[in-house]
Amino acid sequence: MRHLLSYLIFTPLLAAVVGLLIPATQKNTFRVFALLISIIQIVIMVLIALHYEHHDGIQLSERLPWISMDLGQWGTMKAEYFVALDGLSFPMVALSVAIISIAVISSWTIEKNQKGYFILMLILNGAIMGSFCALDFLLFYVFFEFLLLPMYFLIGIWGGPRREHASIKFFLYTLLGSILILIVIIALYLSFQDPTSGKVLVHTFNMLHMQNPENIIPGSILSIDSTDLLGPYSYRLWAFLLLFIGFAIKLPAVPLHTWLPDAHVEAPTPISVILAALLLKFGAYGLLRFAYPIFPDGAIYFSWLVGFVGVVSIIYGALNALSSKDLKRLIAYSSVSHMGFVLLGLASITVEGVTGAVYQMFSHGIISAMLFLITGVLYDRTHDRLIANYSGLASKMKVFTGFVLIAFFASLGLPGLAGFIGEVMILFGAFLSQKANGLLPIWMAIVATFGLLLGAGYYLWTIQRMFYGPFSVKIPAAEMNDLNHREYVMLLPLAMAALFFGVLPQTLLNFINPFAQQFVEALFKSASFINP
Amino acid sequence: MNDPLQHIFESVSLLIPEVIITASLIITILLGLILKTNKHVILKTLALASYGLAIFIVLHHLPTTSTLLFGGMIRIDEFSSYFKFLFLTGGILGVWISGPQKENSSAEYFLLFHAVILGSCLLASSMNFIMVILSLELISLSSYLLTGFGFNKKSAEGSLKYFLFGTVATACMIYGISIIYGIAGTLDFSSELFLKNLIALSSPLLLIAGLFTLAGFLFKITAVPFHLWAPDVYESAPTPVVAFISVVPKLAGIAVLTKFTLAIHLFGQSGYNWQVILSVISLLSILIGNLSAIAQTNPKRMLAYSSVAQSGFLLVGLVAFGMDGIHFMLFYSTVFLVMNFLVFNALNQFENSYGELGIQSLAGLGTLSIIPSLAILIGFVSLTGLPPTAGFTAKLFIFGSLWGAYQQSGELILLVLFVIGLLNTVISLFFYLKIPYYLFIKEKKETANSIKSDVAGNLLSLILVIVLFYLFISPDKLMGWINKITFVL
Repeated sequence: MRHLLSYLIFTPLLAAVVGLLIPATQKNTFRVFALLISIIQIVIMVLIALHYEHHDGIQLSERLPWISMDLGQWGTMKAEYFVALDGLSFPMVALSVAIISIAVISSWTIEKNQKGYFILMLILNGAIMGSFCALDFLLFYVFFEFLLLPMYFLIGIWGGPRREHASIKFFLYTLLGSILILIVIIALYLSFQDPTSGKVLVHTFNMLHMQNPENIIPGSILSIDSTDLLGPYSYRLWAFLLLFIGFAIKLPAVPLHTWLPDAHVEAPTPISVILAALLLKFGAYGLLRFAYPIFPDGAIYFSWLVGFVGVVSIIYGALNALSSKDLKRLIAYSSVSHMGFVLLGLASITVEGVTGAVYQMFSHGIISAMLFLITGVLYDRTHDRLIANYSGLASKMKVFTGFVLIAFFASLGLPGLAGFIGEVMILFGAFLSQKANGLLPIWMAIVATFGLLLGAGYYLWTIQRMFYGPFSVKIPAAEMNDLNHREYVMLLPLAMAALFFGVLPQTLLNFINPFAQQFVEALFKSASFINP
Repeated sequence: MNDPLQHIFESVSLLIPEVIITASLIITILLGLILKTNKHVILKTLALASYGLAIFIVLHHLPTTSTLLFGGMIRIDEFSSYFKFLFLTGGILGVWISGPQKENSSAEYFLLFHAVILGSCLLASSMNFIMVILSLELISLSSYLLTGFGFNKKSAEGSLKYFLFGTVATACMIYGISIIYGIAGTLDFSSELFLKNLIALSSPLLLIAGLFTLAGFLFKITAVPFHLWAPDVYESAPTPVVAFISVVPKLAGIAVLTKFTLAIHLFGQSGYNWQVILSVISLLSILIGNLSAIAQTNPKRMLAYSSVAQSGFLLVGLVAFGMDGIHFMLFYSTVFLVMNFLVFNALNQFENSYGELGIQSLAGLGTLSIIPSLAILIGFVSLTGLPPTAGFTAKLFIFGSLWGAYQQSGELILLVLFVIGLLNTVISLFFYLKIPYYLFIKEKKETANSIKSDVAGNLLSLILVIVLFYLFISPDKLMGWINKITFVL
């Protein structure tokens, strides 16, 4: 039981190697194989949940030395295989296991080169688990970079007509973000020492050490007493900015979001699901896990910027969604808008805001997966995603319309569904911020509230255009059957989860709340250590 | 040193690897005259055997102290031994992927390989400008000839271009060295006299002489602004030769460049900041190499520019001007050797099956020839510097040492190099992905034949891929070995 997380990470990676040995002619074995791995992961996840206790520390941790070497005059460099779970990563890992299983089921219709597809899916699977579990900055980076390559090929080979453009754009944008983060990682590891190593100077990538400003080596460029300036800001503030931009690309926040609509529109349905539900979370996850705790001074100094980018993303994303003619593009822009809420909650640095941000990450994972599956259902039948080409679907596809209503209302933040809890807590945090810590001006919260209104606007309008009115579909030969069993199996658990986490948010808050409290407390404590 | 003859005999006994290569060179000439059939197979086996033996001796007689030989011409130390190991490995890989030559030119082909390796081994251990010039010329002349081994008009043109550029660079270098000799009064750049005289007479002439001398070395490593020959030569020469000359002479150039810049740096007492000069060269190489590679449509031209950029990255380790920078540079050199051969080996396999290729004609071949395609993908991922390959580890280390150097010296140019160098990964991804993109993502236009099965080439790919992954997962082993190398001028 001690290595549960490693089992979770390496089962799919090993399975990918095994998959290479299965001859490509055994077509349909690959999808069964991938599903089997997902089922094994679900079992492991249940075991993890049974061993998890609700408190604010890290749990189920595993530590092994990875790279340890002498740097001559600069001491020793130490990177570890360090994985563990806490109140932030537990919901994310659970979400990943669930979403990937559903994505595998959704991949059942893939015909082209099944071997390559499912092997890449397994690699992606392992890399996602690894990234969410890693507590060593280098390990996180390695896992995260590792998932870009399979993603590139999954979009590039199995995507839509403009897939070539979309996949390379996705890769270049995300890699740019990663490199900005790598710049900070290199600067960071030479500035931090392992306090447990005694007299020997050991440079570490360990997140727990990096969160403690007492471990900064005095005299290094990123040290807290350094007065060197580079242009207007100190090196620490620059480092925070680089991390913020790097993660904002992955989030994605306006104006660095342009890769997302392209990637989403061109990606095959299962990959869109993984992209929206899981990959977008790495932006916010990285800010929560790395940027904020390591640079609390930067987080406080630039909270207006983070909040402002968040508000702009909310409004700009919603306006774009309102004007989108393509259903998938609409949902992609709604993701930009919802991720803006996460930024706003984070920028407030209040317990409410941070809790809301993590809750929003989780609920958006469920809801966006549902939304992309819904477009997939339509696309499978007609190979067309233009909103204007559909009308009156409710009369032909009754069950489908039911799921669409749940997903749309959850996404626009109707009380009783999962999307509401996160957004309302974020707005609480944003309104509170001016009074509690003076970081965010109140107008940001007010403007963000209008984002909710716009959200209701584009979703309701879409429902009206596509599902009500007389039935008509522009594609002549298309048969608009209601959901088949496979689609039902994918959508039902997600719809139930959207309801469950809307009605009983406490189940999830038990995980998130201790984390958020400790996060905010530790952040202000280190900030006051840095700027007494 | 009472008895010069005795000293020479003692010196030769410490130069066994070089002696083996020389012997093999002579035997190759003789066999080339005697043998009538099976020339290629026999000479290839001879080359592989002699390199293998030489590697064995280099590794088993690792010097613990540095010894001066031939009256200070050559020094055997850990630094040069490590480079010898790299050259010989490069030699093995280069010979391995060399296909059969024309029956009457087989001997010359291997002869020239031996000569390049011999020259590189001598260059990495020379401590005297005369020795530097001699061994550099040995490398240069042999590689000019090797590039002509395509035996067509294009290949001859490339060879001639290489020759013309090369001679000018050498002339500049010799001119520079002559001025330095005039100032220092000695050709031995490790001697105290050299140091003393250069510190005493710090005139602008020294800067000019230093830059002229650098020209010769920068030409060898294809660094900007002496990179212009690379695309034409790479495009026209046979692929195994390109694989070989893009690694071995380059690393030899890096070795001598390390020695020379540390010598002329005068332990920080030089009136000129060579750190800044090298940073600018490194920065320009990375930028110009990567930006020029984007527009290329021929894979070998693209790799030529990529090789320019890789030289820039190798120089980053040198720019740090510290022991660990040099260690990381050695690690990078090792990884560079592996990934470069991985890519060229796969490219060679494609060329053997489909003839000369543009990048676009690779469209859709990925599923037909899965092993070379995967090999080329992993090679490019590593050249870009993405995990989980050793290319990432090497970049991480080398830029780590650069940050350390910046922290110490506060030179702004180092920070610029640090940021721009890393950001160039994004630019380089764009063109490195081009070939995998055509292989896997583009649909093929007409039906192509599947690739000729090439067990030796596939086996080599497999070994090199395993090495790349191994050096990523556990770089400590190799770094532990490299870290023991102490480098004193």
